[in-house]
Amino acid sequence: MFRKNIIIKITIAFIITAFFSLQLNAQRWDVPSNKKAKNSYIKFDNNTAKSGEEVYTKNCKSCHGDVGKANGNKTLNPQPPDLSSTLTQELTDGELFYILNTGRNAMPNFKNTLSEEDRWKVISYIRSFNKKYVQVLSKTDPSKSKLVKINMNFNAATNKMNLSVVANEASGPVVLKDAEVMLFVSRYFGKLQIDKTIRTDKDGNATFNFPKDLPGDSIGNLTIVAKVSDEIYGEIESQTKLTIGVPTDKPSLTAKRAIWNVLKLAPWWIIITYTSIVLIVGLFLVLIVRNLFRISKIGAQQ
Amino acid sequence: MLDQSKTNKITSDLLSHIRLNYAFKLWMGFLITSFLVCMYAYITQLDKGLAVTGLGDYVSWGMYISNFVFFVATSLIGMLISSVLGLSGAKWAAPLARIAEIIALAFAAVAGLVIVMDMGRPERLINVFLYGRIQSPITWDVTVVTCYVLISTLLLYIPLIPDMKYCYEKTDNTPKILKNIYKALSLNWIGSDEQKKILNKSVLILSILIIPVALGIHTVTSWLFASTSRTGWDSSIFGPYFVSGAFVSGCAAVIIAMNVYRSSYNLKDYITEMHFDKMAKLLVLVSLVYLYFNLNEYMVPGYKMKKFEAMHLHELFAGSHAILFWSVQVFGLIIPIILLLFKKMRKPSPMLIIALFVLLGAWFKRYIIVVPTMEHPFLPIQNVPFSFKVYTPTLTESLITLAPIILVLIIVTGLSKLFPIIPIQETIDHYEETK
Ligand code: HEC
Repeated sequence: MFRKNIIIKITIAFIITAFFSLQLNAQRWDVPSNKKAKNSYIKFDNNTAKSGEEVYTKNCKSCHGDVGKANGNKTLNPQPPDLSSTLTQELTDGELFYILNTGRNAMPNFKNTLSEEDRWKVISYIRSFNKKYVQVLSKTDPSKSKLVKINMNFNAATNKMNLSVVANEASGPVVLKDAEVMLFVSRYFGKLQIDKTIRTDKDGNATFNFPKDLPGDSIGNLTIVAKVSDEIYGEIESQTKLTIGVPTDKPSLTAKRAIWNVLKLAPWWIIITYTSIVLIVGLFLVLIVRNLFRISKIGAQQ
Repeated sequence: MLDQSKTNKITSDLLSHIRLNYAFKLWMGFLITSFLVCMYAYITQLDKGLAVTGLGDYVSWGMYISNFVFFVATSLIGMLISSVLGLSGAKWAAPLARIAEIIALAFAAVAGLVIVMDMGRPERLINVFLYGRIQSPITWDVTVVTCYVLISTLLLYIPLIPDMKYCYEKTDNTPKILKNIYKALSLNWIGSDEQKKILNKSVLILSILIIPVALGIHTVTSWLFASTSRTGWDSSIFGPYFVSGAFVSGCAAVIIAMNVYRSSYNLKDYITEMHFDKMAKLLVLVSLVYLYFNLNEYMVPGYKMKKFEAMHLHELFAGSHAILFWSVQVFGLIIPIILLLFKKMRKPSPMLIIALFVLLGAWFKRYIIVVPTMEHPFLPIQNVPFSFKVYTPTLTESLITLAPIILVLIIVTGLSKLFPIIPIQETIDHYEETK
């Protein structure tokens, strides 16, 4: 009786564990249908796969390992799958693109670190491991993005940055409605996102709250970057310099004499200590060598 | 005046080892063959770069740098025996001064080469001189080691000048060029009072000068570590800790050399049991000082166990480096101290074995100082293969590490075949005084 009980308990425990571990493994991606259907405007061929491989080696290999070899980083949970696996290859291009844009758990998002072109190229590389894959090209014309203009307007009174996005089609200007817009300020190492990611309204306008206290250069210049991504026109990026930051004129860390500076700008105390020690020791050595000559001379005279 | 026969005996005794015998040729042949094998390993490193070693991004200082620290350390003994003991009037140490000085010179000169061996692209060494910054302890180290080599050379050579005269006049069977070299090196020595005065004064100046420079070489070497803020190195006692440790390994090296010279060159009348007894006591003294610094270096952070240090110290005390750590402390320091307290152990043969343990311990102690810290950076090591995280020296690397050790043996053996290793003039003077 007792034994039977134990066996039943163990079996239940086993089933529950198996169920949960299955759950973890089989957790697939929940991609909105409009994103799922997105396709690349770049045609995948050997060249794109090749440049995609470079992107992969730099950004993905440390976790996913070599594609096809299932030698990814085993210490992560969940483990990064081998991207040549059927499970991954069954995902649509749009789903892969979405995964790269959003990330999940240990999988980082690459939306702001890789350009759209590089993201498609790395997908092209992943697809090169799938013989059965047939590409469906997107209808977006990448050259269309060149028609788009982003105008930035800063309102100093309300501290708001207003963006209007217009495509100058041959038939006349078209405003970009419901396009995703992001605003950044350039800084050392990358960009700082301002406010949230928003969408343009029906007039192609988007308004961001802009902080008052961003440090600019010596006269307060900030480099502002706007990024728009639209279903039809693709991704558009635009940069301007505006004098809306706080003037910051910090002396460079390498301007003055310092331990960390170049030889010419070494601190005086080091120069003086070092050279005087070397000189003193050198002087004594010269003295000793002179003594040796004296010894030799005395012997020669007698 | 000392009777002529006694002087003659001293001279011929002390010059007797300057000849090429079968044993020497065999030993030298063995050394040179092993050296060539190691050099072959070095050539593969020159060809393929540091990839042939176990070094990498994280552990970039391994056996080579441990070796370097060991070499600089061992070379410090020249200063202690020939200068500090000499200046303080400890006459017993006089016959050992030249042995200590030869060891000092050999280790210090080769230490420079060890650094070059740690470079994947040794031809870029020139950049240290072209673009070196005097703010960097590395530049100070290059400077101070060079100074030490120069001063040690002079301190070895100047007391040799009167002996060169003996070598020139009293050796037979030596080739003609060697005789000419002896003559040139003797600088027309006639032993006049004036010459003696200049010579003694020069030795005195050098003996004083070498003290700060010797302290300097090992203090600066310790600063190569202590001036970075890494766990295990970020310590304010690293200077004296290294210097005291240096005397331990140096004393051990001198004891080994005394033993070998004494038995193979028939110097039992000159290197006596009294010398061994005194050296043993000196070794106990410096070992106790070193033990005291060890206590400070490991007990104080071990008591606090600050976050990052804790990880490092656990690895040393109970983790993957524990066996090495405790072996070094126990067999290289504590047991030798205890053994040498007994009179029976302060005899040549037991001391040879004890000194070998101390010297081996000293080498691994440097390893324990260099490698575990490299394995514990502040920023966690992530997403790299396991082999990147721990350091495992390769065979090639071990052979290359062995090369400078063999080179030191070659130099020490070679010098002792060219020059009398017990100062002749001083020994004669000593007998005259005590007659
Ligand atoms: C920091 C480690 C890491 C890096 C770098 C990384 N990934 Fe991932 N990736 C993961 C992890 C972990 C998962 C699984 C995430 C999950 O299932 O929640 C994953 C999942 C994926 C998936 C989904 C596969 C599937 O079948 O579910 C794709 C596609 C993918 N990564 C592509 C990439 C690409 C392309 C790059 C480089 C641009 C990249 N990853 C870089 C860790 C990483």
